[in-house]
Amino acid sequence: MTEARKRIVIVPCSGIGKTYGTVSREAAYEVTEDVRPDDTQLVALSLLVLGDEDARAAVAACPAVTIDGCKLACATKMVKESGGTVAREYAVLDVYRRYKQFKPQGIAELNEGGHQLAHALALEIGAAVDETLGQDAPATEGAADA
Amino acid sequence: MPEYLETIIDKFTFRVAADRLYTRQGAWARLEENGRVRVGVSDFLQQSSGDVAFAEVRAEGTELDTGDEIASIETIKVNVSLGAPVPGTVVAANPALETGPEIINSDPYGEGWLAEIAPADWEAGRTELLDAQAYFDVMKAEAEARQG
Repeated sequence: MTEARKRIVIVPCSGIGKTYGTVSREAAYEVTEDVRPDDTQLVALSLLVLGDEDARAAVAACPAVTIDGCKLACATKMVKESGGTVAREYAVLDVYRRYKQFKPQGIAELNEGGHQLAHALALEIGAAVDETLGQDAPATEGAADA
Repeated sequence: MPEYLETIIDKFTFRVAADRLYTRQGAWARLEENGRVRVGVSDFLQQSSGDVAFAEVRAEGTELDTGDEIASIETIKVNVSLGAPVPGTVVAANPALETGPEIINSDPYGEGWLAEIAPADWEAGRTELLDAQAYFDVMKAEAEARQG
């Protein structure tokens, strides 16, 4: 029997047509595909909103890192409403304040600043994932790998 | 007059503080007891501009004519160049803006003020400004027009 690794779900903003929402999703893709592909799983906020069973099960089973594009904080609220635990929440605007040199612009296609901001955010989330997994108790053998 | 004039348009509530004067752009000016004029942005301007990322006030000692940029505000939607409501010299910037510029959104008429000016001539300058009721009418018309 192989030891199941505990994973983190990444839930970005679903705001289509918003620069900061696009940054949140690009950062989420980078985390789940490149930065920490073995430890993270992308969950679409829209699926949580629709009550998708798989999405809700993933959120219920694993700590979540949420990335919100505006102060409505839909991703964070929806994870909590779905019975999940938010291990770390990010707001793109707060991240931008730390990286003023990366001014995001564009919607369908981010500018270079937007890509750089998403990359910086992805690296921060990668570190947060490590921290969260390190702080938690070791995963139980045979635990469901959501 | 009540403390605030208020209107609800669609799902948004816009307030205009009654104790100060305004430019049509949405800068407010209020004469303080120490003779300085405190400057900020109206509730309508902050709501329509979006969440503030950064706010930068002109350096202390800068002399401004009416309409000269007193502060630049970068939000998630737009860059706002705020014109000085009255001529004078910048004597203070709100230090809270350095660490928490979002205070402009959360408390535009209070802790979210931007700058203080030593006015060149307040009594003359104030005649060019709108009182709260006049600004309320301008703001309401603009908000309704944007609503379509």
